[in-house]
Amino acid sequence: MNARFLGLELRRAVRNGRYLIFTVIVPSVMFVLFVNLYGKGTFPNGLPTTTSLMMNMALFGLMAGPLSIGARIAVERGLGWQKQLRLTPLTGTGYLATKGALSMLVALPGILLISIIGAVEGVRMDALHWLGVVGTLWVGAIPFVLLGIVIGLVASPDGMQAITGLASMLLGLLGGIWIPAEVAPDWLATLMKVLPTYWIKELTQAPFVSGVDVKQALLVIALWVAGLSVIAARRYRAQS
Amino acid sequence: MPPTSIGDMTETAVRAGAAVALSGLRKRFGEVRAVDGIDLVISPGEVVALLGPNGAGKSTTVDMLLGLSTPDGGTISVFGKAPREAVVAGQISAMLQSGALLDDATVAEAVGLIAALHRKPMPVAQALQQAGIADLANRKCTKLSGGQKQRVRFALALVCEPDLLVLDEPTVAMDVETRRAFWNQMRAYTDTGRTVLFATHYLEEAEEYADRVVLMRSGRIVADGSVAQVRAAVSGRTLRAVVPGAHDLELPGARSAERRGDRITFTCTDSDATVRALLQRYPHAHDIEITALGLEDAFLALTGEDN
Repeated sequence: MNARFLGLELRRAVRNGRYLIFTVIVPSVMFVLFVNLYGKGTFPNGLPTTTSLMMNMALFGLMAGPLSIGARIAVERGLGWQKQLRLTPLTGTGYLATKGALSMLVALPGILLISIIGAVEGVRMDALHWLGVVGTLWVGAIPFVLLGIVIGLVASPDGMQAITGLASMLLGLLGGIWIPAEVAPDWLATLMKVLPTYWIKELTQAPFVSGVDVKQALLVIALWVAGLSVIAARRYRAQS
Repeated sequence: MPPTSIGDMTETAVRAGAAVALSGLRKRFGEVRAVDGIDLVISPGEVVALLGPNGAGKSTTVDMLLGLSTPDGGTISVFGKAPREAVVAGQISAMLQSGALLDDATVAEAVGLIAALHRKPMPVAQALQQAGIADLANRKCTKLSGGQKQRVRFALALVCEPDLLVLDEPTVAMDVETRRAFWNQMRAYTDTGRTVLFATHYLEEAEEYADRVVLMRSGRIVADGSVAQVRAAVSGRTLRAVVPGAHDLELPGARSAERRGDRITFTCTDSDATVRALLQRYPHAHDIEITALGLEDAFLALTGEDN
């Protein structure tokens, strides 16, 4: 991959005010608000409220960045910029890989900021666990990175705003970010367990609560990653 | 000419270091034969105009030359390489017809992004300078006039220092003044010995800026040569005269006649014979005017649809 190109793309993405607000600031603000709302206690699963809310809001922020980078693909397609890029040594795979790497990079600052605020708000765990939580959340961005790319390849430049909005709402709402699966009716709980969001949260809290089905979590996430990769590859081949 | 000998000819051209060698090039979209067997050799340093009406197959040819689409048949060689290889090597570049500018980047950033992808780019500032937009470096791409946008596209195309520059309808969104300025810039560029192929439907551009004109129509090349040669390809002159009460317009030396009131326009193969016969038959004919066919007439004659 071309580091210089990636660097310039990163500067372009980060400069975007919307990115800064929705993927970095808003999740942290929501986190602080929720901590004040719930108080500093313990949830029924034994996890401190601050820890649990920190993970939930980091997950919420995790979706926004990659989805917006992916959506830019639709815009660049519409503008004819992709055609201009095809007149350079950059390959199609290189283009998608750059967008993927870019998405992963923009997902990171939100996680780090919310973790710092979490520590200030009283989340306590040892260094290895901190690393595990941040790392799991970051790797957990992969399905959203791929989803963003798929949306970018499928959606029209006009439609992509609505689609990304809808996708992040559904993934958040039904993925257990706003409503815990424990209090959801059975049918909703079943639906939640199909989405990657729910399982990323499960994986993140696995070291702290008992009864997390790590195998199933990895299986569901792997299925999402594989499925989205296949769709992206097919869509991309159909377009070039 | 049998296909093998065309192949031989192209092969010789490639060996001789041709910038572009197309042989038997074909592309169809459904039932439409967009490009229907093109043979073309362009030497390094030539400035060639690809002229033709809309739908003649100019853009389809250009796309294949750039490796943006795959031909159904025939071969393409750009400096002895396949199009994609020539693109990767930075030997061929193009100014696209529309779009191609980012809405959230400045001019310098857009050119910088493309430069970052090329192996041996020129400095961004130099590309902007050569395209005449050094003063617009920090301007957002969305805040440019049509002519300025086109100059940015020009900068995007020349930042890789290509040996062959392809321009697809480069001045389509420009007013007369901007168009002239653009071509002056381009001339400064071609004077350095670069090869340029530009598709256009502005005759005066082909006439003024090209060394050679290739006329396309319905996916084929119908004429190829210098401006003078193409004009001569449609030999003959136009004779105009006011002939009150003329009835029989069949005159020797005239291919066709068109009447508008008393004013008659003859398209002649031998205007001398026509004018003699005209005056013999209608001595009162007046305001006689004989002109050579311009490139525009040649263009119309060669590219007009058969009826």
